[in-house]
Amino acid sequence: MNILEIKHLTKKFGDFIAVDDMSLTVGEGEIFGFLGSNGAGKSTTINMISGLLRKNNGSIKMLGKETNKHPIFIKKHIGLVPQELAIYEDLTAYENVSFFAGLYGLRGEKLRSRTIEALEFVGLAEKHKSYPKSFSGGMKRRLNIACAIAHQPKLIIMDEPTVGIDPQSRKYILQSVQKLNEMGCTIIYTSHYMEEVEEICTKIAIIDHGKIIADGTKEQLKSLITDSKLIYIDVKDTDHVDIDAIKAIPGVANVTLAENTIQIHTELGANNLNQIISYFIENKIEIRTLDEKEPNLETVFLTLTGRTLRDA
Amino acid sequence: MKDILWLIKKTLRTTFRKKGNILLYLVAPIGAILIALLAYGGQTTDMKFGVINHDAGNMAEETIAFLGSIDHFKTVEISDNDVSKAVTSREMDGVITFQEGYTEGLLKGEPDAVHLTSIKGDQVTAFVKSYLYQYIDHLATLGMAADGNADLFNKMYEDYQQSEFQLTTTTLTDASTNKNLTISAIGFLIMIMMMSAATLSEIILAEKENRTYFRLLSTPITARKYIISNIIVNMIVMFIQVTITLMLLTYVFHIDLNIPFGKAFIVMAIFSVISVGVSLVLVAFSNSRGAFSALMNLVIMPTVMLSGCFWPVEVMPEVVQKISKFLPQRWTLDTLEALQAGSTFSSLYLNLCILFAFAIAFFLIAIYKFSRNNDTKSFI
Repeated sequence: MNILEIKHLTKKFGDFIAVDDMSLTVGEGEIFGFLGSNGAGKSTTINMISGLLRKNNGSIKMLGKETNKHPIFIKKHIGLVPQELAIYEDLTAYENVSFFAGLYGLRGEKLRSRTIEALEFVGLAEKHKSYPKSFSGGMKRRLNIACAIAHQPKLIIMDEPTVGIDPQSRKYILQSVQKLNEMGCTIIYTSHYMEEVEEICTKIAIIDHGKIIADGTKEQLKSLITDSKLIYIDVKDTDHVDIDAIKAIPGVANVTLAENTIQIHTELGANNLNQIISYFIENKIEIRTLDEKEPNLETVFLTLTGRTLRDA
Repeated sequence: MKDILWLIKKTLRTTFRKKGNILLYLVAPIGAILIALLAYGGQTTDMKFGVINHDAGNMAEETIAFLGSIDHFKTVEISDNDVSKAVTSREMDGVITFQEGYTEGLLKGEPDAVHLTSIKGDQVTAFVKSYLYQYIDHLATLGMAADGNADLFNKMYEDYQQSEFQLTTTTLTDASTNKNLTISAIGFLIMIMMMSAATLSEIILAEKENRTYFRLLSTPITARKYIISNIIVNMIVMFIQVTITLMLLTYVFHIDLNIPFGKAFIVMAIFSVISVGVSLVLVAFSNSRGAFSALMNLVIMPTVMLSGCFWPVEVMPEVVQKISKFLPQRWTLDTLEALQAGSTFSSLYLNLCILFAFAIAFFLIAIYKFSRNNDTKSFI
């Protein structure tokens, strides 16, 4: 059963089309990954799903009901974890969670127990009397999540929940997402961290310039690019690397540079590895390591958009 | 309604958790009264005049004795050198100088040797003149009748003093000081109310900036409910401020407002609505808290000053007085002053209609501006 159905969704800001005729479905129990660069239209789509933005065209149905006709019903079943922290610095952790849960109609003992459960879930039960100003970035992110789950929504929308936090907190949050999913929640997870999406999402949609350019399971997406591969070349010094010259080698589709690593996206049957290596030898650029990788989401994104997520 | 109450509870909790807010919202009205007391509370109706006697005859002393017998009027003998100091320091309300030849002039029926020195204007000198000149006129009449004969004049003056008059006196209470004090305290209260309303409405912008506003809108709370909850919190705080001010004036400082408590409260309650309207307009026209602060300073303080909240509007130039007619603060004070003068609510229907019109206009402007805001930051 689909928990969310989006058909021909469009949103314009003046002449700029932020979301362009988008259609997708999210099945109950999925962790649905929204993968896209900054400005691709992820947050705009999420804002329309959660009722913060009005759409220009199309329809959004949640649990079989149109969001614009039944906004309160829909909102009661959604928990939004916004990209930027949205917590009250002048309320304690307990008061923050309790306040947001109260907005969904919870009161009394039920409110108290759900608040404690949510705080325990994100590992902040012991800090329930503390104010967020004494929290680390990761703890604030976890409190941000707790505020969205205490009312036990059917659909949790997480908009880049791991931005700017330490690896330990990131791991904790990713595990929490999987745990929430096991408890029966459907999750929409947006990120531009490819590895996160690949690790936890059961279905992924790649969004670019407001359009879904591919969607499906990880395997389905990878199968879209069986005709290409990625070569990673780690060099000592990138000062003399001419990207255009590498791109000119037959079969090379794209080249990107990240610190000392050059990522070369090339056609599978091009047999151009010798030419690529020759370029580095001729230009006296010392190769430290060379690695050829099987297609992953990064390759898929690169193939479909022509850019890496970091570039975008 | 339950969710609005939930929002109100949270806003009140976070608002009064900050000591600075308690000072602004609850202690500041007491400050308004104290400032008004400083400005008007020290005023007494007793007058103190210095007298300088250069007259060789006895009539100057008689006149001084007469002045001393007037209720709420005291005389103190001073020297010529002390005149400037006594007058400019306002230690005395004025100085009366009896020049040489005062008695002689009276005997001739041509008195002209009295000088009155004061910097307090007609409201003080007219009172003294009314007593003094009448008394001198009587003496001069006696002098004319005596035709310069000093013995005859003294005999007539003695008879005049011993003659029996039936005089009934009634002391009227001077309510002007209390009226001025009340209006002054309310003037300061108006400023505090406007600042409080603005600070409370600023919460809307603060919530936008820290993103909690958008999170709230993703819950079953609507923008309309959120704004209503803010307005209710605003009204609660201002009603408390008005109640504190009026109660303290009446029951702690025992100042007669010269207006029934209920009527004063109603007028100030209407002004509370106006204050909220103004603050919402300021929020609607601001896209950040910085812009809001600038707008607040630009609107609140100047209008409060122009409308006569800190000083009587009569002391300002006529042009400014005309401008003040376009300000709700002026109409609020005007209504209170009229009530103090004994007008009834029914006779002040125009004032009340104007106050309501101000409130409605501000709310309509705010709603229009909010509704024109077409992005995710729209409120209504």
